[in-house]
Amino acid sequence: MHRLSSVEEFLSFQKQITDSPRTTKPTLVVSAGTCGQASGASGIIRIIKRFLIEHNLQEQISLRITGCQGFCEMEPFILVEPGKHFYTKIEMKDVPRVIEATLSGKVVEDLLYRESEHHTSHINQDDIPFFKKQKRIILGKNDLIDPIRIFDYIKHGGYLALAKALMTGNPEWIIEEIQRSGLRGRGGAGFPTGKKWELARAAKNGKGQKYIICNADEGDPGAYMDRSLLEGNPHAVLEGLIIGGIAIGATKGYIYARGEYPLAIKHALIAIRQAREMGILGENLLNSDIDFDIEIVRGAGAFVCGEETALIASIEGKIGEPKQRPPFPVEKGLWGRPTCINNVETLSNVPVIISKGADQYSKVGVPGNSGTKIFSLVGKIKNTGLVEVPMGTTIREIIYDIGGGSVGNAPIKAVQTGGPSGGCIPAEKFDLAIDYDTLAEAGSIMGSGGMIVMDENSCMVDIAKYYMNFLKDESCGKCYTCRKGTQRMFEILEDISQGKGTLEQLDLLEELAHVVADTTMCGLGQNASNPVLSTLRYFREEYIEHVIDKHCRAGVCKDLVGAPCQAACPIGTEAWRYVAHIAEGEYEKAYLAIRETNPFPSICSRVCDHKCEERCRLGQTGTDPVAIRALKRFVTDNVDPAIYKPERTGEKKSDKVAIIGAGPAGLTAAHNLSLKGYPVTVFETDSKPGGMMFSCIPAYRLPREVLEKEIDSILDENITMQFNTVLGKDITIDKLFKDGYKSVFVGIGAQKERRLKLEGEESEGVYPSIEFLKAYNVNGEQLAKGRVGVIGGGNSALDAARTALRQDEVESVNLLYRRTREEMPAFDEEIEAAFEEKIVVETLVTPVRIITENGRVRGIECIRNKLGNLDNSGRRRPVPIPGSEFIVPVDTLIVAISEQPDTDSISPEGEPELSLTEWGTLEVDKNTSSCSRPGVFAGGDVVTGPNTVIDAIAAGRKAAVMIDRYLRGEELWQQGQAYLPKVYVEPYSSDSADSEVSQRVEPEQVTREQRLGSFKEVEMTLSEKSAKCEAIRCLRCDLEFTQPKTEKTEKVIVRTPEVVEQ
Amino acid sequence: MISFELNGLQVQVEEGSTLLEAAKFFGFPIPTLCHMDGLEPYGACRLCVVEIGEGSKAKLVTSCTYRAEEGLKVRTSSERVVKARKMIIELLLASTPQSKVIQDLAAEHHVMQQRFRQEHEDCILCGLCVRMCKEQMVAGAIGFRGRGENRSIGTPFDMKSEQCRLCGGCMYVCPVCTLRCTFNDPDRAVCGGCANLAAPCVEEEKFHDLMCYMSPCVACEIVEYEKEKQTKIEG
Repeated sequence: MHRLSSVEEFLSFQKQITDSPRTTKPTLVVSAGTCGQASGASGIIRIIKRFLIEHNLQEQISLRITGCQGFCEMEPFILVEPGKHFYTKIEMKDVPRVIEATLSGKVVEDLLYRESEHHTSHINQDDIPFFKKQKRIILGKNDLIDPIRIFDYIKHGGYLALAKALMTGNPEWIIEEIQRSGLRGRGGAGFPTGKKWELARAAKNGKGQKYIICNADEGDPGAYMDRSLLEGNPHAVLEGLIIGGIAIGATKGYIYARGEYPLAIKHALIAIRQAREMGILGENLLNSDIDFDIEIVRGAGAFVCGEETALIASIEGKIGEPKQRPPFPVEKGLWGRPTCINNVETLSNVPVIISKGADQYSKVGVPGNSGTKIFSLVGKIKNTGLVEVPMGTTIREIIYDIGGGSVGNAPIKAVQTGGPSGGCIPAEKFDLAIDYDTLAEAGSIMGSGGMIVMDENSCMVDIAKYYMNFLKDESCGKCYTCRKGTQRMFEILEDISQGKGTLEQLDLLEELAHVVADTTMCGLGQNASNPVLSTLRYFREEYIEHVIDKHCRAGVCKDLVGAPCQAACPIGTEAWRYVAHIAEGEYEKAYLAIRETNPFPSICSRVCDHKCEERCRLGQTGTDPVAIRALKRFVTDNVDPAIYKPERTGEKKSDKVAIIGAGPAGLTAAHNLSLKGYPVTVFETDSKPGGMMFSCIPAYRLPREVLEKEIDSILDENITMQFNTVLGKDITIDKLFKDGYKSVFVGIGAQKERRLKLEGEESEGVYPSIEFLKAYNVNGEQLAKGRVGVIGGGNSALDAARTALRQDEVESVNLLYRRTREEMPAFDEEIEAAFEEKIVVETLVTPVRIITENGRVRGIECIRNKLGNLDNSGRRRPVPIPGSEFIVPVDTLIVAISEQPDTDSISPEGEPELSLTEWGTLEVDKNTSSCSRPGVFAGGDVVTGPNTVIDAIAAGRKAAVMIDRYLRGEELWQQGQAYLPKVYVEPYSSDSADSEVSQRVEPEQVTREQRLGSFKEVEMTLSEKSAKCEAIRCLRCDLEFTQPKTEKTEKVIVRTPEVVEQ
Repeated sequence: MISFELNGLQVQVEEGSTLLEAAKFFGFPIPTLCHMDGLEPYGACRLCVVEIGEGSKAKLVTSCTYRAEEGLKVRTSSERVVKARKMIIELLLASTPQSKVIQDLAAEHHVMQQRFRQEHEDCILCGLCVRMCKEQMVAGAIGFRGRGENRSIGTPFDMKSEQCRLCGGCMYVCPVCTLRCTFNDPDRAVCGGCANLAAPCVEEEKFHDLMCYMSPCVACEIVEYEKEKQTKIEG
């Protein structure tokens, strides 16, 4: 390489490179940073090279290997220039197709990036939302440069800033420019870089010798922007370091890089050698009379060495522990000389500022926080990767617009910024504009820019514990409060996560956290409490749940959760147990395991919303969860319920209990109280028991004979049914007590339909969905005629639509919903079925006017919506598009937007007998289910609003326990306890060598033709073979708790289905 | 001379004085475990924290390492300082309850309970012994090793150091293990107060990681002594 001897020579050389005719041949760009290589980029590169050589295509196509380009989720990818076609998750076999298409100027449609299978693919990289919303001033260079080629860097404006700085010949000018740009240290603390340089320049100590250090000791879990910069564009860091060195008058620079970053170190070493050879670095660089050289120091991986005084100690060869500041390193640093320490990203910004000018630079961002910041977006997010956004961008934009939102079904609940010393910011604060000051106010820190996204499946106590574990290992140990304090905080957090915590410990934790933050020397200790304090600040109720209720809502804390399926079930059904019995072929035992907790197993096996499957660990490890509900259906359909003999506890008692409402909550309460020996009377408005299960759930989902049989099986001599009795008319709560009932349970459900509040809603042919469903299910009346419109997207809307479709005089059914299909609250399988049954689903429409003729509905005018801004739940608000109104002609309109409890009945004389919440539901004590009047308990939809059958059963069970305690005169509230698996069921073993785990089985459904006009049950039972295959897939999370620990068996359990069904 | 405000009092000290020295000179007691005249200030125990600055800028710093600055406002026993100090003592008490020095400290500061899980450690890593060995004895036989919860003091590779001259200085300065530093004769103890406590090395299962850098270790002699005493009593 030719050594350049002056700035002028460099400039002419630079001009020569940039002016050289640009090749028109297409280029394949492969990102091969550490992340890319880990995903297989090296293999892709090898195949591309081989293909090009084999087919002699070197002259027609070129290849560029770059560092990380940021979109790590999609790696390995190939970017084809000049068209910027972005082929993601490339496999080796795809390479020839991409090259051939590129040569012929085509695109490979199916390999292009698309957001999801519902979306179309993007042809140009710039149209991809992930890139579109970013401002990639620093990172963008990574796409253009091969990090080991200095010419690439120079070609794209590299070292021009240095040339400019040298030509000015005035270090003060550099410092002033940096100060005017408003650049703040990107390492985390946000100290103004210009100010730091000014102090370092002014420092007199040390006989003129000064140092500048680039801090590349990036130790935060989940943050890797410094690595990517050093790997992808090392010359930019060098240039920043040289300019900084000139500015403060240093002659030696150090790059303190993590030893775990071998590729970054390699690229930096190559860059240093190249720069030296070209005369850009070293003695008398570019003949400017300035000496400046750079040395790389490898850190040994101590997190604390990212702290500047510890870093200096580490370079000096001492143990890496911080020193008291003042004196600050700018006065007395490395070897006692003035030393300036800047972060990799800060230094990468310097050339941009110098070459573009401070004014231009500071236009980006917000006042006081100019420029862009790179964040590494990781965790439960769709688009993992590095994102560069202007300061002042909101968290919401980063997470939803760029990051694409949550990766699974669970909504995002918080984001952790700033690494281990940072804090958690809850979803309701996502409108915060990110800069150093607002983040600190919110109890977190910017840190180096790690952003770990957490969803509802992340436990905040566990997060705090994780970070505290990291910090107790990584504290240098010098300050007693940091070393011992982090250990003690971890100890308390561990107690809490194991269910051994107390409220006193929680207070102690908070007290200790404040003292640790207050009394430690360096940034590590001062911020070590952030994970605890910020989670306590925003998620205290989760801590309380762990301490008091012994419950971990995220299903993470092992000692509280046990088997996730069991913990997820509101009634604690041992799903793992019956699944294990099915695998063994012990169906009766399986039935008993289900029936023990659930009085309505056959009903739940059809209509349960299977929370257990959502939490199934199999489902969280990349495959589909075990089909627990279908297995339950298999058992209940094949076992005679008579094998279950309920266990009656206690002798017959005389205290009478009144249950109002014969829905799932009321019946469960009645059943459980009856087992305890109480005489129970159930009052029901309708003529049959079952409540919503009977009146609203259509027969094609829940056949009537199943329902009736199941309800009949729980009624016994202790239970008296009194039908056609209306609360508020025939009975009042007061009257029940006068009649000698000692306790009352209110389970009247939520049966009052919310109204659209449009004119004409009273006209003929407009029905609330409950009225419509009840008319058919209870009385057999077919209200729907002709063209039917259904408004809503929940389960009752789908039920109404599918029921209407089956009625005799119906021509067509239109479902109108205001958001998109993905956001419909109804069960997925219901929506699928509706599509199959040819129900027309119109999404993103809102009804605005009901058109009537002679008092009967004739049509509905709707307006189309577009997606607007994100709301707190991360969903986009539907915003009406003016002028997009259209009319849907209908003869029947069914409104199913939401239901609420009919609380008129509990206030017969105007004054409610029980107090209500502002949402019109009954007010009950969360812990005891008791209402405002002593002796009255409530549960089910009347408390929660429209909810599922299983939650109602859970409420009934709990009420029965509470009523029993109340009648015995016991304390109602008792400390919660964790229900861990107790029964050991031998794991299924097979001698078959084939260890391939089969796919989740889905129950078969009757064909569309058979469904129309008939209320035949749609979903069918699993066959014995497929049930067994499915049960064997279970990971058996329970074994950790139940397996006998006496002998260490080395037996390998092979989970293989004996027969794989075709 | 530097003048600054100490607990509301306008005081003057020589340039380079630490806040701890100043406070001591003007009669404001500040507890400390890791400070000793003649040894370089280290700032490990954090007991000597004082509050400086005002309003939102107020913060705690260790007085042993912080040098007096012109116009500084220092409070040596503000509410914040006392709260922090008490918590530190509570932490000490939870880990090294057998130390007479720490017991006295707790009594002096009215720390009547400790709410953590009880531990029995034999070192608070104050570093007095390390500095004693290096600065006063010019030996440098022992030093810190590891970080975080694995930090400990010892000789390289736990081998007997050739630099060690068996001076016993490390034991002399130790605030935690006074008894085992006094040979097997309680009458010659540096502080007799703890003589009625069991020697940490006797309860070996609690103090498995004995930190005696002397060779031969005197711990076993204490054990012998205790056994002798026991047989005498039984006999």
